[in-house]
Amino acid sequence: MGDLTRLVFKRLGLGLLTILVVSVLIFFAVELLPGDIAEAVLGQGATEETVAAMREQLGLDRPAPVRYLEWLGGAATGDFGVSLVSGERVSEAISDRFVNTLFLASYAAVIAVPISIMLGVFTALYRNTIFDRVANVMTLTTISSPEFFLGYILILFLAVRTTMFPAISSLSGDMSLLDLLERTFLPMLTLVLVVTAHMMRMTRAAIINLLASPYIEMARLKGTPPWKVIVKHALPNAWAPIINVVALNLAYLITGVVLVEVVFVYPGIGQLLVDAVAKRDFPIVQACCMIFAATFILLNLAADVGAILTNPRLRHPK
Amino acid sequence: MSNFVILYYTALIGASCLAAYYKQRSVFMLIFSLTLVSFVLGIIGGAGALRFVATSAFVLALAAGTSYAFREFLILISKPGLAKELRTAPLTAAFGMFVIFTYAIAGIFAPWIAPHGEAEIIGQAFAPADENMLLGADQLGRDMFSRIIYGARNSVGLALVATLLAFLMGATAGLLAAVKGGWFDQLMGRTADVIMSIPSLIFALLILSIFGTGLQVIVIVVAVIYSPRVFRLTRAVAGNIVVMDYIEAAKLRGEKDWYLIRKEILPNATAPLIAEFGLEFCFVFLLIAGLSFLGLGIQPPTADWGSMVRENATLISFGDITPLIPAAAIALLTVAINFVVDWMLFRTSGLKEQ
Repeated sequence: MGDLTRLVFKRLGLGLLTILVVSVLIFFAVELLPGDIAEAVLGQGATEETVAAMREQLGLDRPAPVRYLEWLGGAATGDFGVSLVSGERVSEAISDRFVNTLFLASYAAVIAVPISIMLGVFTALYRNTIFDRVANVMTLTTISSPEFFLGYILILFLAVRTTMFPAISSLSGDMSLLDLLERTFLPMLTLVLVVTAHMMRMTRAAIINLLASPYIEMARLKGTPPWKVIVKHALPNAWAPIINVVALNLAYLITGVVLVEVVFVYPGIGQLLVDAVAKRDFPIVQACCMIFAATFILLNLAADVGAILTNPRLRHPK
Repeated sequence: MSNFVILYYTALIGASCLAAYYKQRSVFMLIFSLTLVSFVLGIIGGAGALRFVATSAFVLALAAGTSYAFREFLILISKPGLAKELRTAPLTAAFGMFVIFTYAIAGIFAPWIAPHGEAEIIGQAFAPADENMLLGADQLGRDMFSRIIYGARNSVGLALVATLLAFLMGATAGLLAAVKGGWFDQLMGRTADVIMSIPSLIFALLILSIFGTGLQVIVIVVAVIYSPRVFRLTRAVAGNIVVMDYIEAAKLRGEKDWYLIRKEILPNATAPLIAEFGLEFCFVFLLIAGLSFLGLGIQPPTADWGSMVRENATLISFGDITPLIPAAAIALLTVAINFVVDWMLFRTSGLKEQ
């Protein structure tokens, strides 16, 4: 068991290192600005004094590595500095919206994960039948459509032509859970459609891969009933790929959320990020990017660790 | 019961009987289950729902017919070796090729096909469709149809350039890494890891916020974001080839790295690389469309599908589908490429999954 914990810790360490490298990248990307932040934000019309004042205020006179360490220390405790446009603290602007985004993503995940795994196993079992082909074409179509296309189609048919669900998800603090779930139904459905298609295809591929292995054939040949082949022989080995698929697609959800939030005017950090990019509000851009990237890396890490825990073969790398 | 409903069920039941008679099991299952579903649909949605089903079936049949004809056309005009390969293409792949062909024509001959210029204001804002403007006008009174045609040139062209650049960078680095190995391989591998550990859209937004939205910036950023994928694939494919005996022999002959890459490795790695090019193009295309939709991609007045959706999105709240046409154009092209790539992967890998 000691071996296993060491391997898991090694992966965790590697993940932390990646987050660190990414934070360096995100911080120093802004340093690449022609001129510096003060000049970029104030524009050409600014006088020498205003630029100097802003530099002073942002502490730009100190060397970049020092500022990076300060920024990193702040980021680790949830303090990302002050917005350049509104002067508000970035952490305050983000916190509520981050909760909203997490809510939307988990709402979608709770519905998408069971459905897609079931459908994936189903299409793998009935592969090469007409239903599998139809499912294949349909998932390919969903994957290939831009998220905003799916979102607007849903708005058109479920919110405008038949007024079943609200098209715009405006949230307020004192809504009941049921209200909240109804308000966020369409963005959730868009995400579910995209992620389900991905997850289903990957689950199907993983299971088919497994069913082709000799020991499954052996089990079949000795006359084991089909359900027992699946439950006793295939499933224990299928957990690793399935956990992997789920974690990877949750990571995908994190980025898909940006476009969906813009389509449905959903008050999450994706929308905030897009606004900040247009206004060139660098502290907010950096903070949002850092949050998205860290979540993405952590979920990928979870996929790795899950795979190690469920598949003993990975514990002894060649 | 209208004539339409009677005709509808007669056709379905007749077709399923025919399929059963000729022992076409899956066709029969499909048609007959459609009949059963139609009973339910007909009760809930009335003749309207059935009409919708019939229209979709007709469109599908039309698409299948077109693809079949196009495949036969391709088989007739191509050389015997290629024709034999094309014969194995499923209808979906033929459909994909047909769509790609159509887009290429629209993109190349845009100024001759489009009735109006892409930035030419010819009517009222959001004017409805008439004989002058096939799909009506957009938010500034420009012809929607012409802009969609020009979009084939601008959106697809930009994505193509970005993909080519990504491919050039990724494949070169991958081949060099496979041949040289050692620290170069390690460095490239770790760089690719870092770039891939940031979600692509987020990375693109970060860089665009810094350098602003110019065409060159978009092309370079997108190429950098997607080149690690190409790098990994090329590295893996070339890595398997480098250990072959004939490479060893070439090395002993004293051939240079460049010769090895060009004459020994590349010819054996083209098939997976071409398939990857198709997939990569889809990713790039969707990313650029997403950026344009967010208002950070191709800037107006250049016609571009992603930004057209954004600009005309208000029409959707009036139940109008015109803003969805450019989005559908994006989806259709990506689906088409995926169909073709699916077939190519299946063929080259010899993957006859049971």
